[in-house]
Parts: sequence; C-alpha cells; structure tokens
Amino acid sequence: MSNTSADPRFATDFNPRTDPPLDFTDKSLGEMTADDYRALGFMCGLEVHQQILTRGKLFCRCPAGRRAHELDAEVLRHMRPTLSELGEYDGTALMEFKTKKEIVYLLERESVCTYEIDDTPPFEIDEEAVKTSIEVASLFNLNLVSELHVMRKQYLDGSIPTGFQRTAMIGLSGSIPFRVPELGVDRELRIRQLSLEEDSCREVSDVGHRITFWTDRLGTPLTEAVTEPELLTPLEVFAGAHLVARTAQITGKVRRGPGAARQDTNVSVAGGRRTEIKGVQHHSALPLLVHVEAFRQLNLLRVKAELKHRGVPSEMLQLPVKGLPWELSPLVADVGDALRGVDFGPIRDALETGQTVACVRLPTFAGLLAHTTQPGVTFAREFAERVRVISCLTARPFMIHSDVKDYGISSTKWRQLRQRLHANKWDALMVVWGPTADVATAAREICNRAQDALAGVPAETRQAFVDGTTGFERILPGADRMYPDTDTPPLRIPNQWVADIQSDLPERPWNRLLRYEALGLSPALARSLEQASWSFLFDGLGLHEGALARRVAFALERCLPYLRRSGVDPWLPAAMRVRPLIEAVENQRVRVEALEACLCALVSEPDVQSDKILARFMIKKDEPAKLEVLADQIGERLVEIGAKGEDVALRWAMGQVMPHMLGRMSPAVVEGKLKEVLAARSHP
Amino acid sequence: MSDDKELYKGYREPCLAIMKRFGITVWSEVRAHTSRGQFEGLVLPRSETSDADHLVLKLISGYNMGIRYDTIESLEKTGYREAHYKIPEKAFPTDPSKPRVKLLGTGGTIASRLDYRTGAVIPAFSPGELYGSVPELADICNLDTDKLFGVFSENMGPEQYLTLAENVGAAIAKGYDGVVIGHGTDTMHHTAAALSFMVQNPPVPVIMVGSQRSSDRPSSDAAQNLLSATWAAAHGPIAEVMVCMFGPTSDRYNLLHRGTRVRKMHSSYRSTFRTLGDIPLAMVECGKVEPLKKDYAPRRDDRNVTIQAFFEERVTLLYYYPNMHPDLLESMIDLGYKGIIIAGTGLGHVNRKIYPALEHAKRAGVQVYMTLQTLWGFVQMHVYETGREILELGVVPLANMLPEVGYIKLGWALGVHPNDPEAAKQLMMTSVAGEMTSREPHDGYLIFQGGIPEVKDFLERVWQ
Repeated sequence: MSNTSADPRFATDFNPRTDPPLDFTDKSLGEMTADDYRALGFMCGLEVHQQILTRGKLFCRCPAGRRAHELDAEVLRHMRPTLSELGEYDGTALMEFKTKKEIVYLLERESVCTYEIDDTPPFEIDEEAVKTSIEVASLFNLNLVSELHVMRKQYLDGSIPTGFQRTAMIGLSGSIPFRVPELGVDRELRIRQLSLEEDSCREVSDVGHRITFWTDRLGTPLTEAVTEPELLTPLEVFAGAHLVARTAQITGKVRRGPGAARQDTNVSVAGGRRTEIKGVQHHSALPLLVHVEAFRQLNLLRVKAELKHRGVPSEMLQLPVKGLPWELSPLVADVGDALRGVDFGPIRDALETGQTVACVRLPTFAGLLAHTTQPGVTFAREFAERVRVISCLTARPFMIHSDVKDYGISSTKWRQLRQRLHANKWDALMVVWGPTADVATAAREICNRAQDALAGVPAETRQAFVDGTTGFERILPGADRMYPDTDTPPLRIPNQWVADIQSDLPERPWNRLLRYEALGLSPALARSLEQASWSFLFDGLGLHEGALARRVAFALERCLPYLRRSGVDPWLPAAMRVRPLIEAVENQRVRVEALEACLCALVSEPDVQSDKILARFMIKKDEPAKLEVLADQIGERLVEIGAKGEDVALRWAMGQVMPHMLGRMSPAVVEGKLKEVLAARSHP
Repeated sequence: MSDDKELYKGYREPCLAIMKRFGITVWSEVRAHTSRGQFEGLVLPRSETSDADHLVLKLISGYNMGIRYDTIESLEKTGYREAHYKIPEKAFPTDPSKPRVKLLGTGGTIASRLDYRTGAVIPAFSPGELYGSVPELADICNLDTDKLFGVFSENMGPEQYLTLAENVGAAIAKGYDGVVIGHGTDTMHHTAAALSFMVQNPPVPVIMVGSQRSSDRPSSDAAQNLLSATWAAAHGPIAEVMVCMFGPTSDRYNLLHRGTRVRKMHSSYRSTFRTLGDIPLAMVECGKVEPLKKDYAPRRDDRNVTIQAFFEERVTLLYYYPNMHPDLLESMIDLGYKGIIIAGTGLGHVNRKIYPALEHAKRAGVQVYMTLQTLWGFVQMHVYETGREILELGVVPLANMLPEVGYIKLGWALGVHPNDPEAAKQLMMTSVAGEMTSREPHDGYLIFQGGIPEVKDFLERVWQ
C-alpha cells in the first residue's frame, strides 16, 4: 500500500512542501496564528455533502428523508474486492476483504425496496434532483457537463449494499467569493467539482466481524461539492464550510436537520499527505479536528525522522502475506507458553479460552510508541486502531507494548519476551491476543503500520471524535475505484434546462450580503440576516431606507429567536402580513418604537388579522392628554427628587411613565414633557 | 474504413467531423474549449446505442462526462493514452489429491472483470483467468475449462443443447468427478431441463450455475455461486442435472435444484431460482452439501450415462388466455408444428371456442399436451366437464410438469422418436428425470405473503 507513493495518480495527495518544520513547538488551537499555520504548511480542502430535498430517492421511487421506525427484515451480505484497472486489488478493497466482515442490513418496508438491497437494477434518475444539482452547480459558477454519466464509486466497507455508490459529475472548475473580514480573508475559493450521488447507509454498530447498517437513508440524493485545498487555517476551514453549505441552502431545495449535511476534510502539512476526516456533521467541530490532525501529521513526521536517523530499512519489517507469522518470521513469536500464569486478566483469560498470544518485535521503535501524536493519544494508538479495524479484535484491551511500564505484564516477563525475540534495547515489543486467525492478521497489520511509519503519514480516512481527535477508519481508496455504471444510460442535459434554471437562480449569498450592506446594515447585522431563515421575509418587505431597514432587521433578529426559545411555533408570516406595518411606520401612523412589539404580535398571534394587531399600535389622538395626566400624577414626587439633581429626577420619571407610553410616544417627546413639568413646578 | 472505426470507436456524425477537424481520436487526451467552459480528459469510445451528439471524456477524477458537439469551440490534443485490458492469468495450481472438475462455458459471465474506462465487461474464463479472480477455486478441485459458445442466455437453443449434452457425455467418459456449466440465468431452467433429458443417469453431478449480479460488482453473487457449484460438483453426493444458485437473497447458502423442477421466478433477485412443487435437493454452504431430499440419485464410480442428444424444433408452447381464438392454434397446425404444449388455466382448461382447432390438431397428428399456468399443482381434467371434453379431443395431461419443461421435453421426445409418434407420446407420459412427480409435499408450494404477522416474525428471526 505504501508503494502508491510512486504512482503519479496519487501525486496530488502529497503536500506540495516536503520540508516538515520538525522543531515547531506544539501549540493549542487558540495559541496558533495564521503565520503559524503557514509555517506548518497547513492546507485543507472540503467535501461538502448536502442532501437534496426531493420526494423520492435518486434511483428508485422510495420516499426520501424518512427515518425507519420499525425493523421488518435483515439481509446479510459480504463484499468481495474486484480487480482494478491494472489487474490489481485496490488498497482499501484489500483491507476490507482482509477484515472478512459480515454485513447486516436492517430494512423497513416503507423506506426501502428491492433496489436498495441490490436485488433490482436502478430506475430512471430523479430529474428533480438533477435540476437542483444543476442549480447548485450554477451558484458555484461551475462548467456544466452536457451529458451526465452515472459512475460507480467502489465502497467495500458495506455502507452501500451494491459495493459501489452511483454518482454523476454535474460541473467542474468554478469559484465563489470568499470574504471573511475578521480573518482578513478576501479572495476566491475555488470549487473543484460538484457531483450528484446517492447517500449511503447509516452505521448502527461495528463489532468484530459484524457490521450493521440501517438502510433508510440509502439512496437519498445528495450533492458533493469539493473545494480545492486552499483553506489555510482552521478558522478558514470553518468559514469555507459555512459558505459552501450556505450556497447550496440558498436554493431552498436541500434537506436540513441532523445528518442532512456532512463534510469531509482533506488535511495535510508540509512533508505530510492528505488524510480525510469523514462525516463531520457540525461546522463548529471542524477547526479543532483539522488543527489536531495537522499536529498528528507533524508528530508522525517526527517519528519518521527519528526512525530514519535510527536507520531501520522497510524490508526488515516485511512479514509473509500468508500463513501464521510466528511460524514464518523472526519478528513474531507465539508467546502463549511464556505468558502462561501471568498476573494480567486479559492475557490470562485469553490463554484459558485457548486463544493465541503473539509478540511482535519492532526493530528500533523503542520509546517511539509513547510519543504523543494527538492530545492524550500516543503513537501506539495508531497501531491499536489498525489492528482493531482490520483484524476485528473486539475484547478490550487486546494489546500492550513495551513503552508502557507497570501495565499488563511485569518487567521480568518483558525481559523474557525480549530474549525470546532476540530484541535489543532499541527494539519495541507489542503483545497482542485473540482468536488465532485474527492475531495472525493483527501481527501483519502491526508490521504494515510500522512500515508506514517509515514513510511518514499514511493515506487514511479517519473518523472524528467529539474531543477533536480522530481515529483510523480505513486506507484511503485509490483512483481506480471509479467505473461506468452499465445499468443507466447517459442523460442529456438540454440547453433549455440550463437556461430555465439559470434565469431563475436565487440571489447568491455574497451578493445578498453586499445588498444588505448597501442598504445600510452593519456588516455583522448583514451577515446574520443573510444566514437567517427570515431573510426572505425581510426581502419581501421592500425596504429602501437605511434607518428603517436596520430597525426591521434588528427587530426580526430579536423577535423571532426569542419567540422560538419561549416555545412559540416558529411560524414565519408572509411578507404581505408584515407589509402594512412597514407602511404604517413609513406614514407615521405607527411610531417606529412600536415596530418590534407589533412584529412580535404579528408572529405570535397568527390567528388574529393583521389590521386588528396593527390597530393596537396606531398612534392615538388622546396620547398627549394621557401624558398630561401621567405627568401630573407624578409631578409632586418629581419635584422632591428634583432636589437631588435634574438627571436623577428625569431618569426616575421616565421609568415611571415610559412603560405606559411604550411604542405610543417617542422617549424624546416624553422626556421633553417631563422636563417641562419639572421646570414649571420647581420654579413656579 | 475499418481503421476509422477503430480510431473513432462508436462516434458518428456530427461528432466525427469535429474530432477529425481537431485531429482527435479515441484515447486522445484533450483540453476542450466549449461554450460551457473548459474541460480536460481522455476521449473514450462511444457506445453504439447512445446518441451521436456527445463526446465522452474520462476526467482525472475518474468521472465520465459528455460534451455536446455544438458546445465545442475547439479541441486541443495534449496526449494519447491507450490501454488494453486483460485479466491477469495465473497458472491454476494442480493437486493430484483433489477431484477433477470440468467447467463448460456457454457465454454467460460467471466471472468477469471490467474495462474500467469503457465499462465493458471482459469475461474471465480460462482456468488461469478464473484463478486470477476467484483464487479459492484452487482449494476445491483441479479445474479444466472449455468454452463451447459465446451466446447470451436468451440465444441458447436446441443446437446448443445438443453440443452441451455431448460435451457433458465426453467429460464423464474422460473421468471427471463433476461437470459445471456456466450459463446466463434467463433460460437456465430451459437448458437444465434439456440436459436432464439428454443426459440420463449421469454418474457424477452436472451443475448449472450463473449469477444475478455480474462479478465486476463487489456485491456479486457470482463467486459464491461458482464456489458452491464447484464444490457440489467435486465433492457432492448427488449425481443429477441440477441448478446451483442463491438460497435466500443474503450471502448464506446455495440451493441445488433438480433440473426439471426449477424455474427463474424473479427478474432480478439473487434468490430467483426456486424448486416448484417440491423441495430443493440440497443446501450447499461453506464446502458442505446438505441433502434435503432423500430420493436423489447418488454419485457412482462407473462411467455409465445415457446421452440422447436429439431435438425436434417444430414444437411450441401456447399460453392460453380467455377468449383465445382457434385461428392461433390452426395456424400452428398449418405451419407444420408437430407438437404443442398448452399452458392452461386452473386444473388444465381452455375455452370451447378452440375445440374445433384441437380436433383439427388430432386429425392432423399434431400432439397436444396440457400443463398449467398456475405452475403449482397437477393437471386434473376429470373434475369439470370442460376437462373431460378436452381429454376427449385428444389433449394429454402432463401431471405437474412445468410448461417450459413440457416444451423442452416434447422437443426432445419427438427428436428421440422422429418417426414413431406413439413412442414419443409414451415417453411424454413417463417421468424420465423427475419432471412429473407422483405426489406434491405440503411444503412444495410456499409463497409467503409479506405483511402478515407470522411472516414478518419469520423474516425478522430467520430470513437473512
């Protein structure tokens, strides 16, 4: 697998800079500056997956967006690697076959048909989904294909019962304005491509040799937008993900909610290579994940440099591909006898149940296994994860190593093992136990991972954990896994489709932002309005004047989330319900101070007619008289307080009167009146 | 001209002219300037069945896409990359302690790989190619292969049946421990029936196998089918003509079906082959054949087999429907058909309207037999008057013989006795290879209905 580095097709996987800054001090996310990331050679690209809002799935007529409630049946399958273009097995394919997984699919009658479980060929591609993806591609300014070809992208992890995902290229080579003032970013973000594909299964569990999936989500249409790896800091990654997602959302034709949008990130640092962190659901998780990954790569490169310095050749770590490694290689020994009666539960239990305990010698690796690669994670975890995923060992723990003292077995036993394997003090030992066949795979995988360490950063896809660290998921697939789908004919994309779609494109988010700013909103208010679900309501009100526009934007931002939080149904009124309010304010029939309260009433009382609500807030003729009465009532007390100073008295008086006049009269008028009263009474 | 064909594989006007104008052929690497932007990729051959308007590019990402001719402003050739695909051949290891199996190929793709750029399927067939794609075969047996023809299942016919029967006979005579026949699935049950009659009492298993999902797919059933069939042929105890395909849709076990009782029952399911009116002969799972029926013909050491490779092509199968007019039957008689199998309704009925035609058939010496559209159950023409009337007209009931099997058997029987109609008729009425059974077990007819609580329960607990 590591020999792929010589293959030109993988050249783009490597960071263009080959000089890792090994002496760069590890820092936390908060301590890093943009210059620091530049020093690291950090670069990141995004693959943003966004489900499209269609009634049906992409290649069959099952409902999309339904979450299964009831288990109706299960299907069990296996995946078998197929030969690649070069007559070889793809690295990922081989790995997944090594794991010999039983794949179980859970079915619910209402959400899947025989297509999803690969017992029926595909039906016609969903035209609505194609059109929506053309719309999204147009927003990204991509060059559109004139004929759509459905391809099969192989996945042998079982997440798709066919063993491949049907996917089609929609458009290529576009860019969108990438402007984030607080990050000092003002440039273009290049979008490499947008494809339309079917979603995969939801994983339920992955224990040992059995992996289980729900099939309800399978086949849901989604777009995958791929950016060039031009995001240069974790915060840019966050902003980029947001921008790409927002651009698709602006169509109003994409799914929202948990799991409807997921992003993969491709990260590398100088000297490293692309690793893919998969399936991140929340943008807020991205910065820490990519930051931690950057330093993981740097630390793997430090391990590589140290191993190079110590001078172990890769061939020395080679194990025979077949057979039991402990019978065929001096690097591995069956140490069951040596460890019989050991005072460590997991090994003792393994031996008592007839399992195998093997010890692997890693020449010159001593001390490196304890090297920190991620916060709270050592290099040894890289081995453990590979072993767990590939050899399917389930009982925990299933391995220990010689860099950790006082855990597992005694130093006497370690010494015995060292003698047994002819290990010197520069060598590390790993002890692994479990069923014999799995331990044989584990020993081989330990040596494979050790060989990868000599190359630096292995090409992997990694899963994200909540603490910002990542874990091995599988070997990054090669380019060979894409081939034409012989079950579906090419689909012509007529000029008329493109013309119709492009003549009716929604306003692009960045243009909308500029428009709001031009209207007089502050950049911050403009941005939050642009991203708000009520921005269409705002647009529908046809505001021209800056001050009022600001007030309305602000009122919406205060009113709607507040009502939502306080449990009122987030019902968004139509523009025509709110429009009379704006007109009333413009014609000075409602004071601008009453805008927010009136807006809240229009939203929270959907059953009351808008003119009735508006009537409550209209300026009334008796208001000056009412103010007279109120001022008169507090007049005496006002004079008393007035002795302490005019400011204090006025503040108190405003507090008394304003609640009664809120929205009816401007505070300035009330304050003027009170001043008048105070002056008149103090100096009669 | 043929050179052009190779250079511009599948491209026609108007694309062809544009390609020629810019000096582009198939396998050219191009930069295309179009009204929809710039694209770079490798020019792939165009499928003959696709329209003539698009140039197909394979992009560096592996995706294919089409560029319409009228969007093309210019094409710039940047390179040329042609590749020819071959399945890696590895010498099939021989082990004298393992049984010998002969694999006969008819053209269906049991094992194949894909030309990753064009999507064309390249069949793997030689032992070396098969070993390259299903290496586990070497753990089962020593394999020899013969590719007899390269036809799709739907194009199999009498000519192929005869050649196949003779080759099975030859393989048995040569001492093979089992014969496997790779076959497309659509008409596999027709061929299975033909071989059941043409190869009687074989001493070793004769097993037909195919796949519902081609083997270029990771989820293919091909490898499991091939491995199960080969195992049953090399080591199994049952010496009959059988079909070996998936039991359930899950990758769990295969079933061995008797060649005269099996039928393809779903257009695309993996578990499409079912034994009708009986239970399957055996289950095959992980190198183990578990017989379900007791009355199978056991494997023998001798080399005795009766090969009767004959077929009369002028026979037909008539699927009856209400209000069928007699002219249909009349025309068959006029066209010189020698035998007709009717698939009748219910217990074996047709309408009165065609009685005169049946009478005509009888006078003309055209043999007419009755089978059932219901597929399950027996022809019983004594129950209703209609049945008795039809019997009077000389129509011969064929018990629970499946209609397709009836068609194949009639062709064979008339082929065996070309000049002796009575002998052919006797042969039709005698069960030769289990095509008619004396009794139907209670679980020979099981079509579960989804949605019923107990079936739902069964599916959840047992059916995977």
